[in-house]
This record gives sequence, C-alpha cells and structure tokens, in this order.
Amino acid sequence: MSDRIYEILFIADPNLGEPEVDALAAQVQGFVEKDGGKLQRMEKWGKKRLAYDVRRHREGYYVLLVVEGTGPMVKEVERRLKVTDGVIRYLTVRVDEELRKAERRKAQRALAEEKRRSRAGHAPARDAEVQA
Amino acid sequence: MSSQTTNGDSRGIGRPSGRSGGGAGSKGGGGKDAGGKRYFFRRRKVCKFCADKIDYVDYKDVKLISQFVPERGKILPRRMFGTCAEHQRKLTEAVNRARHLALLPYAAD
Repeated sequence: MSDRIYEILFIADPNLGEPEVDALAAQVQGFVEKDGGKLQRMEKWGKKRLAYDVRRHREGYYVLLVVEGTGPMVKEVERRLKVTDGVIRYLTVRVDEELRKAERRKAQRALAEEKRRSRAGHAPARDAEVQA
Repeated sequence: MSSQTTNGDSRGIGRPSGRSGGGAGSKGGGGKDAGGKRYFFRRRKVCKFCADKIDYVDYKDVKLISQFVPERGKILPRRMFGTCAEHQRKLTEAVNRARHLALLPYAAD
C-alpha cells in the first residue's frame, strides 16, 4: 500500500515571533519524518484574522504542510500536535483520493471534448474523401 | 411569448450538443409548451462548480467558498445557489473544514 497524501494545517499562537513559528513548523515536520513520512511542501500563510476566537486569540499564524505518509503516522502526529504548546488548532485532511478523482474527471472531460471536436470537424472531411 | 424565447435560449446555451447524457442537475425548466401562459419563468440556475469545472472544492479557498456562505455563516440550501447535489455535498464538507480552522464563522454574532 502506497503512502497517502495528507494536508496538515495548523494555527500557531500569534504571539510567537516569526523564528518561533518557523521552529514550530520544523518541529511538526520532525513529527512527520519520525514516523516515516515525507514532507512534500510547506506553506506559511502568515498571520490571519480568525473568524472566531480560538483559545482567546483573535488572530492566528497559519501553516500548511503537505505530507506523504501512513495512517498511523497521522495518528501520532495529531497526538503530538495536541500536546504541543503554541498550536492552537490543527486539521489533517487526506487529499490523494479526491485529487486523483478530480484528475480523472479532468482527463475524461478533455477526452469528451476531443471526441466532440473530432465528430464536428473530422467527420465531414472523411465523407468528402469517400465521395472523392 | 417572451418567456418562450428565453426558455429556448437558455437551453441552447446549456446544452450545445444534445447527445451526451450530461452529469448532474438535469432537473427543472419543465413544461416548456405551457410556458406561454406562465408569468414567472425562473431562469434555471446552473451549478457554478459545474460551469467552472471545479472538481475539488478546496476548504482553503475561502474566496470561493464564501461566495456560497452569507455573512451569517450559514450554509444555504441548494435551491438558493442552484448547486448540484454532488457539489453541494462537497461544498458543505469544505465549509465545515474551513469553519474548524476559523476561516469561516460557525455563527455570526
């Protein structure tokens, strides 16, 4: 079974400075790698206003990690996130299946488009050839 | 009479080639022959996600999702936006995820 792709998004305490958030992100990356996961990419969204208060904070520092790994890895990473200070909220979403589905959709659509075009464009041409 | 023209027009736009079965939301716009007598002809809404060919509704895309969630933060029923069942489902999922991450409110104050 191949590894799955997850998006781990966590919100860090806004009172932390930039370097501290970086350290925190590195720490989370460490959690992932310890359990045989691989980091695909990391995005720092920066400080954003929260839609509602989370642990008495109005703002939060959003960090997104796209990660390759297994189910047990996610369980462990989430457990660690829960006990890590400075992380006020997190969410892990498995994305590989949905993305694959979307990809397939897109391919199918392209194929259908191609067919329609060829039916409209090439069919008369073939007829003309036959007649000639 | 005018209602009939609009009816014809919208159908023309919606389905260029009548051949393919089409995915979702082939409902509505029924009774086109009786259209002349009817006062209200509601323009059939087309699912925005289908029209824009969005296959994956991303919870991170707040700009997109918030179009479908009014200020109060409630998810409105399908009939308001004309989203197809499949995309409404995906939208709901995305909204709930975004809510958890405080990107969208659970309930506005």
